[in-house]
Amino acid sequence: MASADLTSKRDAERNLDEDGLVHAPSHPLAMALRRLAGRVLAVITTLLGLLFLTFSMGRLLPADPVLAITGAEVSKEVYDRVYNELGLGRPIWAQFLDYVQKVATGDLGTSATTGQPILTDLLTIFPATIELAVIAMIVGALVGVPLGITAAVRRGTIIDHIARIIALAGHSIPIFWTGLMALFVFYAKLKLVGASGRVDVFYEGLVTPVTGFLLIDSAIERQWDVFRSALGHIILPGTILGYYSVAYISRMSRSFMLEQLGQEYITTARAKGLGLRKVVWRHAFRNIRVQLLTIMALTFGGLLEGAVLIETVFGWPGLGQYLTRGLQMNDMNVVMGAVLTIGAVFLTINILSDVLYRILDPRTR
Amino acid sequence: MLKNLLTTIALAGALVTAQPSFAASPPNMLVIGTNLTGIRTLDPAQNNARTVSELISNLYDNLVQLSPDDLKTLKPMLATKWTVSEDGRLITLTLRDDAVFQSGNAVTAEDAAWSIQRVIKMGQVGSTDVALWGFTSENVDKLVRAKDEQTLEIELPHAVNTDLVLYSLAGSSIGIIDKKTALSHEANGDLAGAWLSANSAGSGPFTLAQWRPNDVAIFNAQKNYWAGPPAMARVVARHIPESGNLRLQLEAGDVDVGQYLASGDLDALANNKEMVIDSVPGLGFYYIALNQKDPDLQKPKVREAFQHAFDWKAISGNIMRYTGFPWHSMIPRGMIGAPQDATSRHDYDPAKAKQLLAEAGYPNGLKKVLNPSGAATLPFAEALQASARAAGLDLNLVPGEFTPAFRERKYEILLGNSGARLPDPFAVATQYAYNPDNSDEARLGSYYLWRAGMKVDELNTLVDQSMKEPDAGKRTEIFQKMDGIYSGMNAPLVIFFQRTDPYVIRANVKGYHGHTTWSTRWHGVTKE
Repeated sequence: MASADLTSKRDAERNLDEDGLVHAPSHPLAMALRRLAGRVLAVITTLLGLLFLTFSMGRLLPADPVLAITGAEVSKEVYDRVYNELGLGRPIWAQFLDYVQKVATGDLGTSATTGQPILTDLLTIFPATIELAVIAMIVGALVGVPLGITAAVRRGTIIDHIARIIALAGHSIPIFWTGLMALFVFYAKLKLVGASGRVDVFYEGLVTPVTGFLLIDSAIERQWDVFRSALGHIILPGTILGYYSVAYISRMSRSFMLEQLGQEYITTARAKGLGLRKVVWRHAFRNIRVQLLTIMALTFGGLLEGAVLIETVFGWPGLGQYLTRGLQMNDMNVVMGAVLTIGAVFLTINILSDVLYRILDPRTR
Repeated sequence: MLKNLLTTIALAGALVTAQPSFAASPPNMLVIGTNLTGIRTLDPAQNNARTVSELISNLYDNLVQLSPDDLKTLKPMLATKWTVSEDGRLITLTLRDDAVFQSGNAVTAEDAAWSIQRVIKMGQVGSTDVALWGFTSENVDKLVRAKDEQTLEIELPHAVNTDLVLYSLAGSSIGIIDKKTALSHEANGDLAGAWLSANSAGSGPFTLAQWRPNDVAIFNAQKNYWAGPPAMARVVARHIPESGNLRLQLEAGDVDVGQYLASGDLDALANNKEMVIDSVPGLGFYYIALNQKDPDLQKPKVREAFQHAFDWKAISGNIMRYTGFPWHSMIPRGMIGAPQDATSRHDYDPAKAKQLLAEAGYPNGLKKVLNPSGAATLPFAEALQASARAAGLDLNLVPGEFTPAFRERKYEILLGNSGARLPDPFAVATQYAYNPDNSDEARLGSYYLWRAGMKVDELNTLVDQSMKEPDAGKRTEIFQKMDGIYSGMNAPLVIFFQRTDPYVIRANVKGYHGHTTWSTRWHGVTKE
């Protein structure tokens, strides 16, 4: 009864306007729409901010976009022509407005180094990165969550220490080194996996891209040799990349689980004679899965971004390499496009995890 | 849970190991591990770099060609013979009648004329070599013409050594394109530039099967090639930017040819009996540029001090072992007019450098900023910085990409390397010795001597003469004279090494020869 009174008091306070007048509570649909509008506005503002940042970066860095197109040994005439074609002589604000207008229509410009529209490039390479990040995420979740939970349940034991060492190693050993060592062992010595690219050279071009995800496309076409080759190529970079997320996921899982294990309902359940496994997986785990979901979502975004080095070591034709090459070659349209994509992905992931959070945890609605 | 995890891992492992093999490349396929970064187009007219030159050279035939082992003797290709008029102003080439494009269209003189006209009209980097002879978009249609189906006439706007013109026709930018096919894909008057950036329309021994920028380029053999079908049914150029990974793949036999390997990996592969390292001399140098807009560096004694401030011998055996050999002349080794030996002009002598600095008015040494032109020259720059310290030169090394600053003359000291595609000292001389206008407004960024801020009228005259002189003996004298002036004037571009491009080739691959002008051809490649 007391609780109901408090609720109605809070509702009343929420509906007071500046004149102190009480209004009828809004319709749930209207509230949902208002919330959605607010969210869309926030996304647009964030994207504009991101656009401004990437544009400033592209224009202020001491790189010459003309030379990226023409090469260093170009004549003055050709240089001047390309300079004018790119509109680089115009005021910076006019260039920014142009850029925003173009981005709004999906035109991210043309890459100086591939000669293709940035959007075309991104559509080709992004599935490769997502494919890699998904495998890494699966590895990260399959290893990280049980490791963290076990470490929490066996707190202070040898298992806890081992889990910490595994996590620490994943955090501190350079991914570049791990990649090369893994290639040396699993590719060069054991000949278990492929080395570079998404598939063996002799399988290149056999599968028609439908989704862009080679594992899916080869399975759709029932090209099992290509599928196996693709799996053999992704397993190593995917696992290594995933291992680097294990550190974070296991640490967070451990911490969430420890928090739950200290709760009264756990003590009560144990006192009632419920087995440890049931208490952990049926009760405590249910209560941390929403938090874990958020962690996974953020980790996934980080994996897309953090794939840069692993893509270089394994010659993986994805977003990370694309961005690195863009930077190396002063191809600022590529840099702006790739950074914008990563930013947009983070935004999307944030929104999705927020939505899922609301669905899975009624208290947040 | 753990059991489930182990089962999943075991299943994945089983699937992967069920793969028949991650085996060596098949006997009729050549796999080249390279760096495809920066290849924005496969259009010959827009060709601007080393790797793409090689790819284009196998899609398109040239009128004439130069073997990698003989850069002086022109050999037939699409043109079976050629004559030069008595006044040296008209070159007439006769084309073979059995060459066909991949479309099935016959190769005609009209295609050849159009391809040359197109390069000039597009005005991209590919036009640099032929535009030198005076062709412009206004005059090229009139001067380069098809006399009949098999006869091409090239009239020169002014007197030029016709060997130079023919050499430029052997360059990968002058690949002959199927005019009919290309024009059927023209958009907005771009002379098919957009379409040819990702498609091919040549008569070369290979056709383009697939092209994914920065990833892979796949070529299939052209079975009805006029010189017979190539032994390799397929050639794959794969982007493998990480040198350690490329080395592992070469050792495993998955990759047959490796390009752009790091010196440590080259060292390791040099000891492997299954590998051959072909260090191909390039037409360019590693140099230090001393900006003459800087009052300190303008002093001849300071420039001379730099000749003795670098311990080049120390690094020639390690970081430059495969990428360059000591050379201190502006005429590349082996070219006409080149000295027999040019490796003792800049001996490392820190005491002498110190004394020269003192004589120039810097008894307590000199402090300057040193920029490497890019990441590739960074180890070299570090070595230079360390050895120059003993000579009283305090070089503040600022790494980054400084080629744009070099072109704008906004630097103090820059360490860079150069390359050229025309196999004649004239090409190098235009970079290192030519500067017709030293004003900032001239913005002659393609001439290195302008970038260094120096103009020498006598050298300008000699470069012009070397372009026009038809007599080989007299040209030799011109280049020798040029070299003498250059080395005696304490040039602001101090040359230390001549460039080499190392190619690692598996021993079972025969007939793959890296080309000095980067137009390596795969037609004669076989595998044992």
